[in-house]
Amino acid sequence: MAEELKGLTKVDLKNLDKILYPDVKVTKGQFIEYYIRMAPKMLPIMKDRPLVLTRYPDGVKGEKLGFFEKNAPMGTPEWVKTKTIYSSASKRDVHYIVCNDLDTLIWLANLATLEIHMPFSTIDDLDKPDFLFFDIDPEPPATLSDAAEVSLQLKDKLVSLGLTPFIKTSGKKGFHVVIPIVPDLDFKETRAFVHEVGIDLAKENELVVSEFKDTKKPGKVFADYLQNSPMRTMVVPYSLRPTPEATVSAPLEWSEVKKGINPSDFNIFNEVKRKDDPWKIIFEKRCKLEI
Amino acid sequence: MAQEDSEKEEVENVEPETGKVSAAVPRRSIWSGSITIGLVNVPVNLFSMIYDKGIAFHFLHKIDGQPLKYVKMCTKDDKIVPWNEVTRGYEVSKNEYITLEKSELDAVKPESDNRIRISKFVDYFSVDPIYFDKTYALMPKKSKEAYTLLLRALEKKNKAGAGRITLRTKEYPALLHAYKGTLVLTILRYAYDVVNPQDFEDIQNLKEPEKTELDMAIKIIGDLAGDFDIAEFEDTYLKRVQELISQKVKGEKIHIEKPREVEAKSLMVALRETLKQLEQK
Repeated sequence: MAEELKGLTKVDLKNLDKILYPDVKVTKGQFIEYYIRMAPKMLPIMKDRPLVLTRYPDGVKGEKLGFFEKNAPMGTPEWVKTKTIYSSASKRDVHYIVCNDLDTLIWLANLATLEIHMPFSTIDDLDKPDFLFFDIDPEPPATLSDAAEVSLQLKDKLVSLGLTPFIKTSGKKGFHVVIPIVPDLDFKETRAFVHEVGIDLAKENELVVSEFKDTKKPGKVFADYLQNSPMRTMVVPYSLRPTPEATVSAPLEWSEVKKGINPSDFNIFNEVKRKDDPWKIIFEKRCKLEI
Repeated sequence: MAQEDSEKEEVENVEPETGKVSAAVPRRSIWSGSITIGLVNVPVNLFSMIYDKGIAFHFLHKIDGQPLKYVKMCTKDDKIVPWNEVTRGYEVSKNEYITLEKSELDAVKPESDNRIRISKFVDYFSVDPIYFDKTYALMPKKSKEAYTLLLRALEKKNKAGAGRITLRTKEYPALLHAYKGTLVLTILRYAYDVVNPQDFEDIQNLKEPEKTELDMAIKIIGDLAGDFDIAEFEDTYLKRVQELISQKVKGEKIHIEKPREVEAKSLMVALRETLKQLEQK
């Protein structure tokens, strides 16, 4: 059996029966299988993006924390594509993983990479974003339901501006709204635009706050614009999250976004069963942002 | 690592006629290069000749019998530290470190030039055995003529070549000599790595023994004189542990949980389906 498996992937799969999600009893084998099955939906969006990983070699449980990894770890096989970016903060080169094929995704899963995060630009030009990003983040007691209400309001506003927004659950408590754009602006410009839209929303709906200083106000929903910056990231669509229920950052149709929506409805077990891909046409809907 | 593997599979060689015991021949050479004497080069492969035989134990978790692994933990918060956050520190004074990046250390690494540089020929027995470290067997590479020529010449002159070699990242003094019709290389210790026993205080100002006592002691030595045979010695502790193991092997064994076939199977199904989908795109 192991030999047959080797004929299908370059990755030497290890510890397949190790439990990664103890509350829902998900083994590393099931975890890898999830990423294999989601690959056709994930790879087109991750393509040519330097990735930031969160690895949980000991699984998701209580105090056991995962760790962030930007630099390609020791023992990275030579067939894994990387992109070297100089980090002025830590004054050294960082070799980011770029995942353009199934084997690389399987290799990441085999390293217990639970979360995969991507920036809003590609290695073609890291300073020119090809996505606008709104992080709709409710502060308890505000819930995903409240975030849904704000997201729908945001959608109407964006559509009236002639843009085509796409939405996914964050996999935790909020929503991510993205707009594919022609990459001819810089992050300063996209950030200013996203911020402006957030300010407008806050004027219309008292639930919404648009400024970082107000994020911790209980019961409010923050329309976060700050991630629209070079090498700031969002969790990639269909990535798992380190929650006890093995939730997923799930792309949705706008019709599914409504009151009563629950983040744990989207998890490792039911996401694989979903046939359609609400984000399938995302790059066909790229629009030119005029500011 | 490679050495560990070969040690595990290793069996002893026993000469059928003499019953003499020796270690098994290693399969892979650990270094490859040339012996250089002036302008003459003799290409050779270097093989381990010395083993330090022991029994390797793995630590297991008493509760479930699964293998344990080592983790690096931060002494401040007891959190596990991933490899990419580990760097090397040199303790300058108590609790004060300077850090050295791997790249900085790599930059000053001596490059092995793949040469055993012989600078002079000496009498093998003039080298104090206290300086002898590990011995390696040299095997001819490509042309055997140069190898045989050097071997026979050393045997005839009864001399050893003194020189140096860089193994991995360290340069060593070394002695090239003929042993059982083979060229072997003995790595030597540096003088500064060997303690002069006369520097121990306990050995200073010894009182000379009485002549009668000395004569008696000399007589005992004479009575017990004999020929040295290394085969008379064996590690009795090692032998007892081996016996203990073979008894236990017959009894209950702890099994390491291997991935279940089911899991490998469903992964294979998923892989086949995804590969097909990706091809269609």
